[in-house]
Amino acid sequence: MTSTTSTPLAGTDRLRPSATSAGRTSRRRMRKDLLRSRIAAWTAIVVIGAFGMLPVYWLLATALSSPEQTFQFPPKLIPTDITFSNFTALAENDQLITYLVNSLIVASITAVLSVVVATYMGYSFSKFRYRGRRSLMHMVLASQMFPQALLLVTLYAVFSSFGLLNTYTALVLSFTTFTMPLCVWMLKGIFDTIPDALLEAASIDGASRWRTLHSIVAPLAAPGMIAAGLFAFVRGWNDFIFAVTLADKEKQTLPPGLVSTYIGEFQTAWPELMAASLVVSAPVVVAFMFLQRYLVGGMTAGSVKS
Amino acid sequence: MTTSGITRRGALRMFGIGALGVAGAGALGACAPSGAGTSSGGDTKSKNFDFTSWSLNEEAAKPSIEKIIAAWEKAEGSKIRAVSYPYNEYLSQLTLKLGGGETTGAVHLDIAWLAAVAQMGKLADLGSVALKGGYTNVALDSGMYDGKQYGLPWNTGSIGVIANSSLLEKAGIKKHPTTVEEFEGALRELKGLGGGVVPYAAATKVAQLKDIFPWMQTFGCTLLEDSKVTIGDDASIDAVTWYKKLHDEKLIAADVDRFDARALFGQGKAAFYDDAIIGKGVTAAQSKDKTLADAMRPMKRPVLRAGDTPQALLWGGVIAIVKGKGQDAATEFALHTTTDRATTTEYFAARALPPSTTAGLSDPKVAQDTFTTEWTEKITDTATGSPFWQFAQNAQIEEAVAKQVQAVLVGTSKPKDAMKKAAEEVNDLIKR
Repeated sequence: MTSTTSTPLAGTDRLRPSATSAGRTSRRRMRKDLLRSRIAAWTAIVVIGAFGMLPVYWLLATALSSPEQTFQFPPKLIPTDITFSNFTALAENDQLITYLVNSLIVASITAVLSVVVATYMGYSFSKFRYRGRRSLMHMVLASQMFPQALLLVTLYAVFSSFGLLNTYTALVLSFTTFTMPLCVWMLKGIFDTIPDALLEAASIDGASRWRTLHSIVAPLAAPGMIAAGLFAFVRGWNDFIFAVTLADKEKQTLPPGLVSTYIGEFQTAWPELMAASLVVSAPVVVAFMFLQRYLVGGMTAGSVKS
Repeated sequence: MTTSGITRRGALRMFGIGALGVAGAGALGACAPSGAGTSSGGDTKSKNFDFTSWSLNEEAAKPSIEKIIAAWEKAEGSKIRAVSYPYNEYLSQLTLKLGGGETTGAVHLDIAWLAAVAQMGKLADLGSVALKGGYTNVALDSGMYDGKQYGLPWNTGSIGVIANSSLLEKAGIKKHPTTVEEFEGALRELKGLGGGVVPYAAATKVAQLKDIFPWMQTFGCTLLEDSKVTIGDDASIDAVTWYKKLHDEKLIAADVDRFDARALFGQGKAAFYDDAIIGKGVTAAQSKDKTLADAMRPMKRPVLRAGDTPQALLWGGVIAIVKGKGQDAATEFALHTTTDRATTTEYFAARALPPSTTAGLSDPKVAQDTFTTEWTEKITDTATGSPFWQFAQNAQIEEAVAKQVQAVLVGTSKPKDAMKKAAEEVNDLIKR
């Protein structure tokens, strides 16, 4: 933050006692302003941090509580009788491992497929000019605006008629439908920042268009591709409605799996559910920790044109 | 900028690779056959069939049902494919898959969903089969829609009031209140106990405020009469005004749903709450007080005037049969599961869900359970289904009324205005 207090001109007022005093007052004010702004900043950090982290803390606290403690009224912020039984119970549930493996398979393939397809589409939109390009670009973007549930019935009928229900293929294709538009636009923005001169130079050196894309453009756009892949992975990892509709128990992913296992007609096993949620979030959290710089870089890469 | 030397064909080829997946999916969507075309086919005599039930997901219910399935498979030499969806997603998933022809065989249904599913025209009429079952009348009614028996009743119970007899004793209440006036008096006595006791953990959150319906009926509102919505009449306004009074006097608490009510009751902080018969086991299990189960007593819902019929909402599950593949074997399986005495008794022992047959209810193992027999006599005997169950928009109807009741509770609307608005919204929903 900048101070609005005016400072005396150097030299002219240095010898005047009143000016020295004014300078001290001014510095005090500046210090006060700095202190105030620091307090404000820290308050904001604490409030926003609490807003973001309290649910995670609550998740952890519930996972470490017994069912009786979970339903204690009024609830206690800090659990007193800590138990790890909710975590040990997870290891005994083979079905959860199946859900976890399914989630990893489906989300990973969705991420790869989305990035591969979006790379070609984004490159085409960015570096080529042809009739209907803008319309196609907007059509791709518009498809992102439809609520997922709207396409569910159509996709269900399509997969049913082609015998694809209860397969990984159905899940991957349906997830990709929703991850694709943003991936395409994200990558188009990144390709836009790559100078055409580079492509022309490659062409002069004899590189084919495919070679140019694969050997020159793709490495430069790698952070963006990783960001797009992460986005697609997380969308695939978190999807509930498509996974519950298009896949049976053997192919279902974690979100419907956890709901099926822990949320029943009469009660919800909150401590076990929270423990399971914590454990299954771990791979995504770890992936984010390692790849977050690419994600931030990739998301903002297309924001400024060179 | 444009790359030099790029032809339109080349550009389109690039785009084409990327667009292939998306365009393919779109084209396939356009070519997709309608769901109706694939339904209700197959060999009705097939010994193998599907059994769809949300309970097959749930830890508490799964082992018992899997045991029933395994016993049937062994005895009949058939194969049953178990299918399951989470309870909260069940109706939408079932509707989609029944429409698409994927769901066949036997289907477990909440009685509140029967009408909506029966309207799809895929369920078999089980009238002749039901006659063989020895079901109670109230159970049979729960499986009927539009004069046809679409479901064989599996478990028939109700949602009623459960009382904590220990707390009542502490407050000096010797017998259960039978009229609304007595009930109010009892609530005030209980409030006098202090210690944060919520006398009646009634539902006050939108998600569960459909519990107001039996109270509206208690005050004389029929909810729906000859296809005419009667919410908004004097009785419904009186009921909501009374509910608001309980709320303002802190005899009921704000922001309570079924889960909160069980938590409060389980910790001895509530003397009355509404639940299904199975609530006893659930609430007692999550309570630290191991004597709570013995203190839990079913109570007839208080009536407005002595002699009125106590109101309760019918609750339970039926097994319906989808016309088509495996229909005959699935029907036999449903009949066996719902009526075989050994099977229903064992299921009762595992889940505390009362059987739907006279023979099942009179089995010593069931009859000796005081809570269940008292519940059946005091609550289920006069329980009725909601008149709104016949509409596919039942959930929206319940929510529309609940939101208006909540508006009254939080003071943003007057009972008369709120009920008028609720009636208008329900009418609009029914006309859809």
